[in-house]
Amino acid sequence: MSEQTLGKRRKKKSLEYIDAPSGYAMVTPAIILLGIFAYIPLIMALFRAFSDYSTGQFCGFDNFDYILKTPSFIKSFGNVVLFTGIIVVAQMLLSFFFASVLYAIDMKVANVVKVICYVPCLISGVVASIIYIFILNYGGGLITSILIQLDKDPIAFTTQGYWPIFCVLLPTFWLGFGYNTLIMYAGLLNVPRVYYEVADIDGANYWKKMVYITLPYMKNVFVLVLVNLITGTLQMMDIPYMITGGGPLEMTLTPSLYLFNSFRDSGRPQNVTIAGALLVMILIVTVNLVAFKFIKSEKMEE
Amino acid sequence: MENVINIPKYSYHKRAKRRKKTIKILLTITAIIVAFVVIFPVLWIIPAAFKPKNELFSIPNTFFPVNGTLENFTKVFNADINGTTLLKSIGATLLVATLATFTSLFVNMLTGYALARINFKRKKLIWIFLLFPMFIPGITIMLTSIKVVYALNMIDTIFVLFVPGMANSYQIFFFRQFYLNIPSNIEEAAVIDGCSRFKIFFKIIIPMSITPMVVIGVGTFMGAWNNFVWPTLTITENDNLIQIMQIIRTLNTTYKGDYGVVIAATLITLVVPIAVLTIFQKKIVEGIALSGGK
Repeated sequence: MSEQTLGKRRKKKSLEYIDAPSGYAMVTPAIILLGIFAYIPLIMALFRAFSDYSTGQFCGFDNFDYILKTPSFIKSFGNVVLFTGIIVVAQMLLSFFFASVLYAIDMKVANVVKVICYVPCLISGVVASIIYIFILNYGGGLITSILIQLDKDPIAFTTQGYWPIFCVLLPTFWLGFGYNTLIMYAGLLNVPRVYYEVADIDGANYWKKMVYITLPYMKNVFVLVLVNLITGTLQMMDIPYMITGGGPLEMTLTPSLYLFNSFRDSGRPQNVTIAGALLVMILIVTVNLVAFKFIKSEKMEE
Repeated sequence: MENVINIPKYSYHKRAKRRKKTIKILLTITAIIVAFVVIFPVLWIIPAAFKPKNELFSIPNTFFPVNGTLENFTKVFNADINGTTLLKSIGATLLVATLATFTSLFVNMLTGYALARINFKRKKLIWIFLLFPMFIPGITIMLTSIKVVYALNMIDTIFVLFVPGMANSYQIFFFRQFYLNIPSNIEEAAVIDGCSRFKIFFKIIIPMSITPMVVIGVGTFMGAWNNFVWPTLTITENDNLIQIMQIIRTLNTTYKGDYGVVIAATLITLVVPIAVLTIFQKKIVEGIALSGGK
């Protein structure tokens, strides 16, 4: 009797897990690949960040201490925080505004506009940099030509005043604008139309509908865009590398660019650089964890 | 009496309607202007690639070339750049991009499917293991990754350009999410009929996943086409594998005095993203709604 029930239970369990071998077989390639090309490098990086470069001995937080006292690295961190702030505000506001415009107009026009705005999203940072270097060229680019024709002094965008910051942020913004707009637009389409109809009957105006229906409903989309923007901008590298080289006076230096240059310069202590790279990672993981927590708690409330 | 009430009401309604229409027209114009501003930098370099040297930075600058020439293109096609040519590099990059796209789609779809649809022990742990690398910035493991591919003798081979990125946490996440949401009845019928999971995957699941495949595939393809940092570090001696973005970067430093050549090369590299977008525009827009809507 007891043997029979045991057999039944075993049978049920074996049915549930009947495909387990194929399941394991299917995930094995990814486990091996990520193990070799993500986890092993990460573990090696951790080891090296905590050991002395010349002796290989464990040295505690010495490398972190060193990198946090390196003025260029600190400066680059400050820069990237500023850049992220600017990009986040500009991108969130403008892409939301533009998504709302697309939502309000004729579908056919909106579809064409969407595809056109998506073109830059497939372009690389290197190519975008070349395009903007060409347009902003001091010696006779389009902008210089327009300024001279308006009897104004041309601007040396890559060296003068705070213009270098503008110079690296404009292509960065341009590359992301279409994607963010499309995500926001998809979010707007997901707000049930019934809500707006009911609000219309109640005589709610545009702003009321915006504050009480659209914005709350879009919260998760905003968080998604926000996280993408923050993690993306914090790792910004190829555009400043191409356009300004991090200069002038490290005004456009970012941590990723600083680290990239350090990796290629064998004169600098590599383990210190790795410690810096781990700090960048800690920052990014923190941002993501906070955002995920936020989305999760939101979902629980619903 | 009725007229007195009705007339103002009617005209009010009409006015509101007209106002709505005006707003719609204004918004449409705004949208078209924004689209034009966004695409303008790309439009600007098209005629510029046909400008002779002296017109490129002339003041006043014109949109169309005055004396159009193909010189920039002949120069860039014939130039020896880092021991290779533009066309050879385009071929190498297209090959890498194609390999990267299909291999990574295969690995990540299979993984996403197994995580979403098959029961096995320690699944949660495996899921976390596969998801976590999403948060490792490339820069953090850049130097140690080079050590790893060096130890595997992959430096300067084609494998270094697509194998390390083949398994991708974001793609696994994306496909798992997609497979969690598809109806399960067809699959269950197949399981009862005794189909193996691999057969189900190839016969039923892949045909159902065309939209996410296109979205992710386009992303991988363009990522490989646009890849710059990783090839710079890992393809140093093998001229046959030099990637197109390395070429662009080299041209940008060596042809400073003859910038039309750089512009022509840049324009040529833009053909790929624009062709991809033209072919797959519908699926891409649909797919972004898929990823952003949740």
